[in-house]
Amino acid sequence: MSLDTLTRPWKAFSYGFLDASAKREMRRKILKAIAVPGCQMPYASREVPIARGWGTGGLQATLTLVHPGSVVKVIDQGADDSVNAASIRRFIARVSGAATTLDTLEATILQSRHRVPEEKLRSDQVLVLQVPNPEPLRPVEPNMSVARQMHADADYGRMWLQLYEQIVRSGRVMQGASYPSLVNGRHVMTPSPIPRWDVPKLNMAEHLTILSAGREKRLFAVPPFTRVEPLVFDDVPYRVEEHGALSCHRSGALGFFMNEIPQEDGTARYEISDSQLGVKHLDGEAPGETWYRDGEFAT
Amino acid sequence: MQSAPQPDAREIRDNASFHALMMALSRPGEVQTLPEAGFAPLAQALLDRECRVFADDDALVPVLRATGAALVPLAEADHLFVALDSAAAVRALAGAAVGSFLYPDQGATVIAPAQIGVGPALTLTGPGIEGRRTLRLGGVDPALWEARRRLCRYPEGVDLFFVDGRQIVGLPRSTAVAEG
Repeated sequence: MSLDTLTRPWKAFSYGFLDASAKREMRRKILKAIAVPGCQMPYASREVPIARGWGTGGLQATLTLVHPGSVVKVIDQGADDSVNAASIRRFIARVSGAATTLDTLEATILQSRHRVPEEKLRSDQVLVLQVPNPEPLRPVEPNMSVARQMHADADYGRMWLQLYEQIVRSGRVMQGASYPSLVNGRHVMTPSPIPRWDVPKLNMAEHLTILSAGREKRLFAVPPFTRVEPLVFDDVPYRVEEHGALSCHRSGALGFFMNEIPQEDGTARYEISDSQLGVKHLDGEAPGETWYRDGEFAT
Repeated sequence: MQSAPQPDAREIRDNASFHALMMALSRPGEVQTLPEAGFAPLAQALLDRECRVFADDDALVPVLRATGAALVPLAEADHLFVALDSAAAVRALAGAAVGSFLYPDQGATVIAPAQIGVGPALTLTGPGIEGRRTLRLGGVDPALWEARRRLCRYPEGVDLFFVDGRQIVGLPRSTAVAEG
């Protein structure tokens, strides 16, 4: 045995930036996360050349999955052209040689900050969500060791109490983004700060979703065809944002999640949040099948 | 501007092996294709110095040792490469690590040989399966399914992979298996 047989040839940096041992750890944790849907799995969370809290968790998951045949789409609040999304997309392409796209239908890996695309994802696509705060219990239990015990015991009473108090105070559930959701009837997870509009897209979906929080070093997953049920009371149904009747002032797209743009005169204009779907409308290109049709979630 | 880096053969194989493992576990009972037959590529994609591994086949030991993983008794291992074709082997599996309700990720990953598509039918339900799915699996002792039910007190449990040449199926602990 010589040293040559034990080492690999020198390279300036590893393929896909992450070194092999970092990828192996991600692989092991992704498998465990899939086996126990919605349960937060701790992982080491290596350094990547963006700051913690800017998508490092999602980036590590994407860099583990990516290969030269991958087609990567990165969005930030629905937009492909924000600085964060464009930088991450360019970085992934530079270190992996993967192709990039803006089209949801062409992508094999979709990394997203705070939105699920409006076009339906297929079984051959993987959605990677960046997660700032993976712990749904944090507002009711700041001690994360205690919170872990509460997950172990499926002790979500305080979660329900928080929602109840919001209804008592305000007449409705005030939770906008990161609506706590019960996965596979066992673990409550935060779906990352996606709007309420997007949570039903994870329920019994065709695609695999990996949620990764780099700063908090936790990773969890929603496999395909897994129940994701927003926590609701029997007599207070789950409501998504009332965007079903809004239309985009630039593209004319109707019945999708919108960005509200306040105007000088106190009114508001609306612009479609899924930017590439807006582009398709402008170009007269037929979009793929969408989760929402005519502003209603199509089951 | 540097040109895009190219993965070497090992990187390509590890990536493809993991992709098959990930798809197998997220779609239990659906057959996926590995880039190469055998246990060695799976071990190389998953294992390193942070792992503890057990194998019942001495021929696999050099490969496992080369990954840097510690070779330990079955009960201490987080990755197991074992045949499950006899009642004795299934009894031994009862000692495998199942993790805890606090840390379900400490449950072991078990990789076993089997014949996929032949043998007794199993009906699978659970996450990753639309309705139900039927899987035929040969070369596995029938006592395994009762033993697995005892091991998998969800979210505790072990996650099973069955390898047949280049074919692989996964059975995560979240899947309910009914015989017949």
